[in-house]
Amino acid sequence: MYNVWENVLAEIEQKISPANFSTWFQDTSLLSNEDGDITIGVKNSFYVKQLRAKYLTIITDALTKNGITVKNINFEVKSNIKPKIRPREISTGLNQKPSNIKSIKKSSTENNNGLNEKYTLDNFVIGSNNDVAVAAAKSIIKAPGTRCNPFFLYGGPGLGKTHLVQAIGNELLKNNPNYKILYTPVSRFFSDFIDAIQSGKGKDFNRKFEKLDCLIIDDFQQIMNKEKSQEEFFNIFNNLYQLNKQIIVTSDRLPNQIKTVDERLASRLTWAGAFDLGLPKFEDKCAILRAKAEFMGAEIEPEAIEYIAENVNTNIRDLEGELSTILLMSEVRGLTPWELIQNGAANINKSSKLRPTSSKQVIEKVAKFYNLTTKEMCGKSRVSHIKTARQVAMFILSKELSMSTTKIATEVGVKDHTTVMHGIRKIESDLKLNFALRDQI
Amino acid sequence: MEIEVTQEKLAKALNNVSRIAVGKVTLPILNNVLIRVNNKKVSLTTTNLDMAIVDFLPVSNSKDGVITVPAKLLAEFISNLPKGEKITISEKDHKITISAGKYKSVINGSPADDFPELPELSEKNAVVFKLGVEEFKNGISSVAIASSNDLTRPALTGIYFNTYDKTLAIAATDGYRLAEKKLIKNVQSEIAVIVPATTLQEVLRSLSDEMEEVEISFNDDLVRFRLGEVEIISKLIDASYPDYRRLIPKDNDIKVEVSRDELLRVTKLAALFARTVNGAIMCETKKPNIFSVKSLASELGENDSTIETKVEKEGKIRLSARFLTDALNALDSKDIEIEFTTRLTPMVLRNKKKDDYTHIIMPLNS
Repeated sequence: MYNVWENVLAEIEQKISPANFSTWFQDTSLLSNEDGDITIGVKNSFYVKQLRAKYLTIITDALTKNGITVKNINFEVKSNIKPKIRPREISTGLNQKPSNIKSIKKSSTENNNGLNEKYTLDNFVIGSNNDVAVAAAKSIIKAPGTRCNPFFLYGGPGLGKTHLVQAIGNELLKNNPNYKILYTPVSRFFSDFIDAIQSGKGKDFNRKFEKLDCLIIDDFQQIMNKEKSQEEFFNIFNNLYQLNKQIIVTSDRLPNQIKTVDERLASRLTWAGAFDLGLPKFEDKCAILRAKAEFMGAEIEPEAIEYIAENVNTNIRDLEGELSTILLMSEVRGLTPWELIQNGAANINKSSKLRPTSSKQVIEKVAKFYNLTTKEMCGKSRVSHIKTARQVAMFILSKELSMSTTKIATEVGVKDHTTVMHGIRKIESDLKLNFALRDQI
Repeated sequence: MEIEVTQEKLAKALNNVSRIAVGKVTLPILNNVLIRVNNKKVSLTTTNLDMAIVDFLPVSNSKDGVITVPAKLLAEFISNLPKGEKITISEKDHKITISAGKYKSVINGSPADDFPELPELSEKNAVVFKLGVEEFKNGISSVAIASSNDLTRPALTGIYFNTYDKTLAIAATDGYRLAEKKLIKNVQSEIAVIVPATTLQEVLRSLSDEMEEVEISFNDDLVRFRLGEVEIISKLIDASYPDYRRLIPKDNDIKVEVSRDELLRVTKLAALFARTVNGAIMCETKKPNIFSVKSLASELGENDSTIETKVEKEGKIRLSARFLTDALNALDSKDIEIEFTTRLTPMVLRNKKKDDYTHIIMPLNS
């Protein structure tokens, strides 16, 4: 239907002077056609008057030539030129059997938007670590592009960012199958962008995004050091935001902590607030495991769940990985999961398990990590990286081994417990800001 | 077509309408002024397709007809003629001949058919307000400073006319500051529309001393200002305005009264030292009676001025000197009331004992 208007415009263009055409007909659109009652969208009421007075016959002629019967032409002021009523697909009747070709087509379009149907909100386990983010996600599903726009979600690896944003995409699509959504990890965004530039289609690239109703960008932190992509993203972001389209961005840290991200971009991303996904608490972990086991159709004893929940402390992905290993093993060996654990057959992945360590071990580890000898680190040097290493060691000793500050002072070789307290506080506050440090620890 | 008119009247009308007849490359006729004589009524019209200015010209003698001519050229020619000269303009074959005593010139025009038809405001369902020129002028200029020129947020480039509690209020904000003026009390109709700030600037420029009253009529998507002989029609901005009244803080607990002139002076002094820090100055209250304004530029030096006033609660707020100066210039009473908190809520400024004007400024992060 909207191509018809292009034809009509082409028709009109030949009849009137270019100056008149570009002044009066640019930014017009065909808003609706209901049995000859035609509504044309124009910029403001100055245009209405002129079009009606001078060009009504020309428009009518051009429409008729393109096979549209005209009874009545109305003009409506529409400042953003986008048509109000979207063309809707005619829903196929229930008794119709979907043919093979159709289903192939369907799945290919779904691949186009990059969404994986596996991720839904139903199988997302809500806990105290993520309830705020989920509430925000639900408000987006209800009214995309309004309240939480842009939706910025951040959290460590394996905590469900991708799941949550894909679930938003899937739900939106469920509510309105014509909704145009694109899910893309940032890495694909810029490789596409580079391709587009190489083949000289930079503009097409931009256009591809302009038509979207919802853009989901995953792993935004990888945009680091890619200035041109950032600029492009910034433009696309602004365009979509102006049109009140939903924008969803995930990252493992806040935008202002991503190196080389433009401040303008960083502040825009967190306009509507940033939502974080935290580490799940013990109860949350149990809930996740139970849901996951149920989803996989396996049976598992509560004791086994508690055991896994207690011993995996890194993230949800590890948690689920551990669960599936145990379930798989139990199937192979013919034992229930709990029996398996009791037999010691299932070793929880070492990296994800906390082991009691001696203070000495910790100090050695930290020193090694920072390429220092234990002596250096526990010395009196106030060089900044050595100092940081020392403070990290103090922090770990205090948090993980719950040692008293006085004891830590003697272990690390600093003056007294107040120095230790300062060190711990320093790292604590740094942790909130510095994700590199968090990874190290 | 023919008209006879004095130089002063014609020059004034042409200067007024020719301001907006510029810059449309795509449609050259928009550079022209439409001169129409219809049954002794002479009108000069220009438009830029966002707004139109119509000036009704009192003439001594006229013959019906219509023509368009380049507005700037005609305006400049007429204003350079000697004052008091009687001017005769007549049209023949799309050319106008201007004769005034010893001066004579011919300007090529183009037929009026090409000139865009202007939208008309239907009187029937229009909402009409009337107010004195002075109130209108002061009201608009006191809020217009806070409007934005960021075209990516169209709503903020306008001034919001809205009614609540039977009051017509106008407001503007650019996201960093906000100004609201209660323009007319006890109104019956209800509206909520955004008028482009550029239109209002043109309206202000069209005001002259002999005008007494401004009539503002709103329609669905048009606004019309009638001021004496001049009529300005403009589009409205089709966007939704933020719920600005929620932004005005109600529980600011630090309140001081200061002399406007005094504060304006110390703000200007402080601004001199605040240039390198983007004009950031610090306002501080100290018990029992000190209100101080400070600024610091490490390479230039520093400034610290105090004003004596009654202080009940201590606190400080950091804000932009330029915004504060603008706000103080927009306020008009001798003494003003300032409210703020130590939290990151905006500073509120009002005229003393008058609540018709409110100006708020967002603090800068320190």
